[in-house]
Amino acid sequence: MARMKFLCDADRCIECNACVTACKNEHEVPWGINRRRVVTINDGRPGERSISMACMHCTDAPCAAVCPVSCFYTTADAIVLHDKDLCIGCGYCFYACPFGAPQYPRVGNFGGRGKMDKCTYCAGGPQQDNTLVEYTQYGANRIAEGKLPLCAEMCSTKALLAGDGEMIATIYRERVQRRGYGSGAWGWRTAYRTTVNA
Amino acid sequence: MLIKRSDGARAKQRLASAYQGLSAGGMDRRSFLKTAGLAGAGVAALAGIAPRMAEAAGAATGVHDLSRPIQRVKNLCTHCSVGCTVTAEVQNGVWVGQEPTWESPINRGTHCAKGASVRELVHGDRRLKYPMKLVNGQWQRITWDVAMSEIADRMMAIRAASGPDSVYWLGSAKFSNEGAYLFRKFVAFWGTNHVDHQARICHSTTVAGVANTWGYGAQTNSYNDIRNSKTMIIMGGNPAEAHPVSLQHVLSGKEINRANMIVIDPRYTRTAAHATEYVRIRPGTDIPVIWGILWHIFENGWEDKEFIRQRVYGMDEIRAEVAKWNPQEVERVTGVPGAQLRRVAEMFATQKPSTLIWCMGTTQKTVGTANVRAYSVLLLATGNVGAEGTGANIFRGHCNVQGASDFGLDVGTLPAYYGLDETAWRHWSRVWGVSFESMRARFDTPQMMNTPGIPSTRYMDAVLLPKDQVQQRDNLKGMIVFGHGGNTVTRMPEAQRALDALDLLVVADPHPTTFAVLHNRRENTYLLPIATQFECSGSRTSSNRSVQWGEKIVNPIFESRTDYRVMFDLAKALDAAAQRRNMTIRFAEDMFKHYDIQNGEPTPESILREINRGAWGTGYSGISPERLKLHMQHQDKFDLVTLRAKPDAPAEIRGDYYGLPWPCWGTPEQRHPGSHILYNTNLAVKDGGGTFRPRFGLERNGVTLLAEGSYSKDSDIRDGYPEFTVALLKRLGWYDELTAAEKATIAEIGQGLGGEDRVSWMTDLSGGIQRVAIAHGCSPFGNGKARAVAWNLPDPVPVHREPIYTARPDLIAQYPTLPDRRGFRLPHLGQSVQARSPEVFRNFPIILTSGRLVEYEGGGEETRSNKWLAELQQDMFVEINPADAAARNIRDGAWVWVTGPENNSRARVKALVTERVGPGVAFMPFHFAGWFMGEDQRRKYPQGTDPVVLGESVNAITTYGYDPVTFMQETKVTLCQIRAA
Amino acid sequence: MRRILLAPFMVLFLALAAPGLIGGALAQPAAGARGAISAEELELQRMLQGGRIEGRTTLPDAQSEVLIQPAGKAWRDFHNVTLAWVGGIAVGGMLLILIAFYLGRGKIMVEGGLSGRTIQRFNLLERANHWMVATCFIILGLTGLNLTFGRHLLLPIVGPEAFTAISLYGKILHNFLAFPFTLGIVLMLLLWVKDNIPNGRDIEWFKQGGGLIGKGHPKAGRFNAGQKMVFWITTLGGAAVAVSGYLLIFPFWGEFGVAEMQLAHIVHSIISVLMIAAMLAHIYIGSIGMQGAFDAMGTGQVDLNWAKEHHSLWVEEQQKREAAAPRGAQPAE
Repeated sequence: MARMKFLCDADRCIECNACVTACKNEHEVPWGINRRRVVTINDGRPGERSISMACMHCTDAPCAAVCPVSCFYTTADAIVLHDKDLCIGCGYCFYACPFGAPQYPRVGNFGGRGKMDKCTYCAGGPQQDNTLVEYTQYGANRIAEGKLPLCAEMCSTKALLAGDGEMIATIYRERVQRRGYGSGAWGWRTAYRTTVNA
Repeated sequence: MLIKRSDGARAKQRLASAYQGLSAGGMDRRSFLKTAGLAGAGVAALAGIAPRMAEAAGAATGVHDLSRPIQRVKNLCTHCSVGCTVTAEVQNGVWVGQEPTWESPINRGTHCAKGASVRELVHGDRRLKYPMKLVNGQWQRITWDVAMSEIADRMMAIRAASGPDSVYWLGSAKFSNEGAYLFRKFVAFWGTNHVDHQARICHSTTVAGVANTWGYGAQTNSYNDIRNSKTMIIMGGNPAEAHPVSLQHVLSGKEINRANMIVIDPRYTRTAAHATEYVRIRPGTDIPVIWGILWHIFENGWEDKEFIRQRVYGMDEIRAEVAKWNPQEVERVTGVPGAQLRRVAEMFATQKPSTLIWCMGTTQKTVGTANVRAYSVLLLATGNVGAEGTGANIFRGHCNVQGASDFGLDVGTLPAYYGLDETAWRHWSRVWGVSFESMRARFDTPQMMNTPGIPSTRYMDAVLLPKDQVQQRDNLKGMIVFGHGGNTVTRMPEAQRALDALDLLVVADPHPTTFAVLHNRRENTYLLPIATQFECSGSRTSSNRSVQWGEKIVNPIFESRTDYRVMFDLAKALDAAAQRRNMTIRFAEDMFKHYDIQNGEPTPESILREINRGAWGTGYSGISPERLKLHMQHQDKFDLVTLRAKPDAPAEIRGDYYGLPWPCWGTPEQRHPGSHILYNTNLAVKDGGGTFRPRFGLERNGVTLLAEGSYSKDSDIRDGYPEFTVALLKRLGWYDELTAAEKATIAEIGQGLGGEDRVSWMTDLSGGIQRVAIAHGCSPFGNGKARAVAWNLPDPVPVHREPIYTARPDLIAQYPTLPDRRGFRLPHLGQSVQARSPEVFRNFPIILTSGRLVEYEGGGEETRSNKWLAELQQDMFVEINPADAAARNIRDGAWVWVTGPENNSRARVKALVTERVGPGVAFMPFHFAGWFMGEDQRRKYPQGTDPVVLGESVNAITTYGYDPVTFMQETKVTLCQIRAA
Repeated sequence: MRRILLAPFMVLFLALAAPGLIGGALAQPAAGARGAISAEELELQRMLQGGRIEGRTTLPDAQSEVLIQPAGKAWRDFHNVTLAWVGGIAVGGMLLILIAFYLGRGKIMVEGGLSGRTIQRFNLLERANHWMVATCFIILGLTGLNLTFGRHLLLPIVGPEAFTAISLYGKILHNFLAFPFTLGIVLMLLLWVKDNIPNGRDIEWFKQGGGLIGKGHPKAGRFNAGQKMVFWITTLGGAAVAVSGYLLIFPFWGEFGVAEMQLAHIVHSIISVLMIAAMLAHIYIGSIGMQGAFDAMGTGQVDLNWAKEHHSLWVEEQQKREAAAPRGAQPAE
């Protein structure tokens, strides 16, 4: 059984933002919602690293744990999804999420939150696969088509890896061994309570 | 495991079963809910009143209806020069999705932010939808017929009153090769040499510098070949932002070879973050840095002496100049410590193969050509040209800037770098099937036919200077601008005045560019909606000279028309206008007689076939549309590193290099594979090998300019030799290897050139001379030495010259810029402007440099109109070092005014306080426009076409300063002041 | 670097938060000479020190600059464990105590019996305001509790869709009733603050357990110490809940980041459950717990005997004032 994860190789990531626009393109995500983003730490200094971050589809997902209406579910591939028809836009998942993944459209005049939107690992949502209703609510369902998330597939330097956790960890480990350096799998300790050591 | 795509079917099953636990078959949300709750029917009814606000997507043009067929169409990204293949999913004529193109050896499925969002371009939210013109200062919709006819009338009026040289034709690196070639041909038929495009402002100095060194003005190797390098220097370039997909190859090389990756730049860029060694220099001191590296190389004897002896002319003169640049002097001028440069020098010279990668940080300088020459000399001295993993990896800018350069969108040449002399004109007249005399008659005077036009960086001067200072009949009166932003050229306040003064301004572009809004015109201004390359077919040449064929994805949207169609229609409209005025000149018939016309426009295939018949000089002769289409079809058959089609490839492409990187000699039928690496003597010419091209005579001052003891593999001539002509064939006794048909063609051509002996590999339309030369393992263009000394340039040996606006006025006396001079029909100021520097520096103490962002491209109208990109960069900014910011009380994210030393220029932008720039240096991106000196110009765009993001243009602040060889503008070093707004 | 800008009083409640929740990002991630950094070490370090890993993004949303915030885990623990226990014990415990008290002591009757004569205790404005606040408070409390406990208590009964509908409208009500609630609290403060200044008698009142210990009633003015407590709990607690609540309604206002939001939530929820517990007692004593008490907020007229027992000083004062006033000023009876 696959256990889907993301791994961003910060020694490859160049903050080109392809992952961000690929996501926008694939799901037609509206302005103001960023299911994925690239954060650069130590900007402009030695040690600068860029890391592409989205929902990490955590083991024991904090969002699911704190959701007042219990709208999250985890697929057999360990992808954490949610039901927008149940979400009430309370914002709790954002407080609990270590990665800032949940996004909320602004509705109303007070900047109130609409229903939460986040990375679906290109796996759509609880609607029927690859239907208009699923697309408009959650975006494309590439997983159902047998494809991986487009952000990782289009990553310019192949820094962002998506797929089964064991396999991408192996790819990363081999990479680190070959080149002799690697800052590790960002977020893995927090999301999966494991790390990738080469 | 879901790693390979073939695992998809399994994945789907697994996921479906995953849903089963939750939702009875992964289908129905409602049953998921029922299993999860114990709801009674009455309570559940409550659910019906819940508001629905759950939609993520808006228009949902991206939905995949899997029940209907999806067509996959391959085209190319229209942004940078890497040449990424874009795979579009088209359903019912709508572009519904973008998929990774795994099989492309260049991008292997990947994209950058721009490439991953190109589908938005044909959503067209902000596209120009129909032709428009200014009527009393207001944009008004008009029909194409009216637009064409009015424009043609005004053009003919200008022609009648001021001559053909008063119309300026600004072409585009966004054209396909066929579009670029057609545009160049159009301008020739109009009778002027005023034709230019973006290469002027990005790599014109590269082309001049490199071509003057070893023959051709192009990247010698390829992005993929960088995987072979053991040491790479990236100097004056930030490919992580400008060419992100190239970093895939750079970083792979760095990882696989554990290669040294040295970044030399004034700015700690996203590229520098991945370097093994970062060298920060003062902007504008490239030559001292290079000479500083060479000083260590010569000092330690690390140079490649055999390479220099066999293949380089004039290295001793370089030694004399380099000797002046000891570590102390280098540090004094550049700020780089000697020990660091010694380390760099040792790596570059001893851990080979080494490559030098450069970009606009090198070229956009008053010493651009000299910079390029110095870089080339460093490569020559270390023997790092003409082999795998070596070379001048020049990353060019736009998607087809290489092709547009190759096809002569340049004030100084006809297509394929034939120049403007009579031989060149006779050659192309023959290719076009018109008489040389008829072409000459189209020009104002016969001399103007051979006189280079005015570079696009100076159009404002050609409009505004007194008539007697512009060496042509009259000032510029009209401009035809295709696919070109106005904010990428320096001195925008003067550009604004110039545009106001024109009699006619035509802007043909998918978006209204800065040319459409910068000015305060009220009449005689036209906007023509042009289709993007995704809405038409054609070939484009990426930076590594690979030519790729892009297939039309969707029909032109709204009332857009293709470049081909618009040029054809304009030619016809000009004919009609000429007729009305009783002028004898005609265009359409002669220009388009060789082309297939389908649906009212010439087909790109037929245009490319004409190119094949004429562009022998750059070896575009073998690049037929059929071969290119086969390459696109079988992309997966090419090797990732060598780019060569593998043995399992279909016979029609087997052994070819991907995209037939030019030179691809002979006719298509001869099946030359293209040349992945230029000047590579390790391969036979028929396999893509070559030698340095002798273009500057056979000897100088008694020293031979032909190679000595160096030759390409399998060459029958085991030494240097000049270019192939009929005379040389006869001397070698190879003349009779030409077929009778070839001889007949050559004889006919010879009549116009004063004898068949003068017919050369470049002018022989039969391809026979090239065929025979290659059969003997020889480069058609000869086997010469590269020139370390280029005596025809203002600085034969590159010397350091301080920027015109320098932050080190104390160095002006020792390293002055060139004296005032003339060039390209215009005055060219140097020392008289530089003399102001000491005073300017007191008021403008910060060095201003500019560059790219990954999200935007060029002038940026297209990318700033793309909502997916625009969201990522919403404000124009200036990068300021924390020390400079603190001294000025400027907070990160606060508004500041940046002021410049000319035209009282100023720009209101946001401060980005960062250590990316060193103290005393500020950086601004150049993609913004729509604000001008604090004024928001959004209202000046036609309704619904204003880009999402507007901002001040850095070129409102940039200043005077031009390279003496190409009039490349100086955008990388000027002075400014910054204060809190 | 973001700063903590919350009102100082909130810091008082910091102790309730799991340790290490607060604290801005540390200066900068440590980097070696060649810039070698380790994701694992950095994450561990931040988790232990309670910081965040932050950087730069090109997006204008400051929240996007936080790469990893381990504090989310602490907030989750607060929400799912601390709050559940504190809330459960406070609210549930109070209910149990009240039930036990009712069963043990029963309804507290007016010792002297009802006199039949009444005295005005609260005028119309006071009563209307009280009931507005009370109504708001009950709805706010129920909808608030629903967000914490509904998932476990209500959802299994009504099912997810109905529960979402309830919660969604609950959230909307909660957000909008915040405004009248706040106004009411302010008005309460203005109307009653002068009678609620603590004084020496309050100590005596507490010593006697409000009359529950020993015989007889401690003397009290218009409000006894117990009522003063309710007043101050309502106004101060209400203010804290209102301020923190508005921060939650307008998320990421100004310079506030996720840490401030978490803190706001912690303050809001903890004070709320404690207030709910306190108000349960208030409701009890004002209704079924004591004979004659409800009338104060019902008709505004309380029985004179009740008033004399519980607010002897106030009654004296009222009667003195009445005597001093000219008779003619009284309305005809």
